[in-house]
Amino acid sequence: MLGRIRREAEKITINRTGILGVQSISTQYESVARPLDSLGITEIQYAPQGAQTASLQLNTLLTNTLGAGYGGSYSLDVMQNFTGDIPFSGIIDYGTEKIYFSQGYMETYSVSCGIGEIPQTSTTSAIYGDFGTGVLFSEYAQDPGLIPSLNIPSYSSMEVNLDEFTTNRMTSFSVDIATPRVPIYTLNADKPDKVIAGTPIEVNVNFSLDIDDYEIKNMRFVPEQTVFRDTTITLKKNNSDVELLRYSFDNMLLTSESFRAGVDSNAAINFNLRSFILR
Amino acid sequence: MATVFYDKAVVEVRLGDQKEQLLASDCSLNYAGARQPLYAIGTKGSLGQFPSAARAGDVSFSFLTSITGNFFGYKGNIINTLASGIKNNVTNGSETSGVEIKFAGVSGSGFLTSYGLGVAANSISSSNASFTFFGSGDQLPFSGRLAPVDGMVIDEVEGKLSTGIAHGRYTNLDNFATVLGTPTDTANVFGAEYSLSLNYNPIYKVGQEFPTTCLYTNAQESVTITEDVFNSGLPFDGLANQDVILTVSGLPVEAFGEELHLPGMEIGISGYKVVSTSMSAGLDDIVRTQKAITAAY
Repeated sequence: MLGRIRREAEKITINRTGILGVQSISTQYESVARPLDSLGITEIQYAPQGAQTASLQLNTLLTNTLGAGYGGSYSLDVMQNFTGDIPFSGIIDYGTEKIYFSQGYMETYSVSCGIGEIPQTSTTSAIYGDFGTGVLFSEYAQDPGLIPSLNIPSYSSMEVNLDEFTTNRMTSFSVDIATPRVPIYTLNADKPDKVIAGTPIEVNVNFSLDIDDYEIKNMRFVPEQTVFRDTTITLKKNNSDVELLRYSFDNMLLTSESFRAGVDSNAAINFNLRSFILR
Repeated sequence: MATVFYDKAVVEVRLGDQKEQLLASDCSLNYAGARQPLYAIGTKGSLGQFPSAARAGDVSFSFLTSITGNFFGYKGNIINTLASGIKNNVTNGSETSGVEIKFAGVSGSGFLTSYGLGVAANSISSSNASFTFFGSGDQLPFSGRLAPVDGMVIDEVEGKLSTGIAHGRYTNLDNFATVLGTPTDTANVFGAEYSLSLNYNPIYKVGQEFPTTCLYTNAQESVTITEDVFNSGLPFDGLANQDVILTVSGLPVEAFGEELHLPGMEIGISGYKVVSTSMSAGLDDIVRTQKAITAAY
């Protein structure tokens, strides 16, 4: 009998932590086996050419965070903690089947929010270890040992510290963090000997504003109009002053501005701030 | 006019009564006859162009490093067998005969002048070889004409993994890793490049264009190892003569329900010396070191 699997039978666990608020999961690999070609070719045979990796994309609503006890050196957002040099392993359950993966390294992390929305995170990761079915971990490691708490931030309880927002209305923002990875492969191995956390980390912060008196800057590199900004976005628990997450970046360079107007919308500005963090 | 697509341009090497069609990815054949213009006082223009050397040619090709052959007791491809035989040739007065090379209908008797092999992490190993064709007696360096030649079907089974090609994933060169003491440090090996060059002395006699015989004179080989430990203690005398075997291996085969690794192809290097070390870095990469070892025969 044909069946189907719906969201209630799906879950993902990373480093024994249940990931909640998941909106979508996608994971895939593409075989590096390529046909061998030669002069006078008479048959097709395949051999791997290049390192075999997989990838994982995860979109979640920021509805659940680690408890306050994890604060300090950790982010309360489980996924943000993997922007450093920590690898992760995990299991995707769908129905009675499982997909295992190990040696995952996050490559991009994004958080975004708009008016009327719950903040949402998106991540992409490269899987350098194992990927597929079978038993890669002990039974003990297959169950989540930690369930994050329900803590929902909202657009109405966030703080953004840019001067423009006193007279111009912010309608949405996004923070995009790209963390490069450099796998080091040796002879006689199909997994990297080590994965180096590359540098620099590129951070892009985008804002959309309904504007009143916002001034577009001169696109030439005019010293007095070349803008560097410190940016801090603070997400708080809904209808409270409890801080959940803070995204803070110094000396971000204003790198793009766009203006749009239409017959059925307010005049709006999008602008991008960019910085690079060495680690 | 002969229109020959690459699938009918097989490269075949015959050594005595044994032959192998190599998995060549490119092949080039050159044939040249040196001409020199002569001038004389009192004559405007040249008297003509006259031969200044015997006609000679060369063939060079790259090929996937096949390792499952067995020629005269040597495991590996026929080029490796040939190279090993020539460089260790000390018993027959160094007089040597060429091997027959066929490429898309053109053939000749050539002398192996260079042989190289590269292996890198997660990559298929590729080799290269060059031959020089002197001709012999009244025999031209090359004969035949460009024509399509079918390759031999080795295995009728379609859709399979190639287990007979050397691959960086399955090649262990830890025996080449630099090891330092106090504090101890052992390198990770990222890749290796092997090369061998061989020299010959064709003997020409008056009244005959092509040589009557050809003598093998000497050979030099080197291996460049890419790793991650720099040895600043490069010895002046290159340390004592040492022997090492470079073994390249391929994908495992399935036999008796298990995965087995066929024995790899071996290159024996005798009396090697470490002659150089270096280290370099590029953006977004680690500092990689290289050491070169050489041997002479």
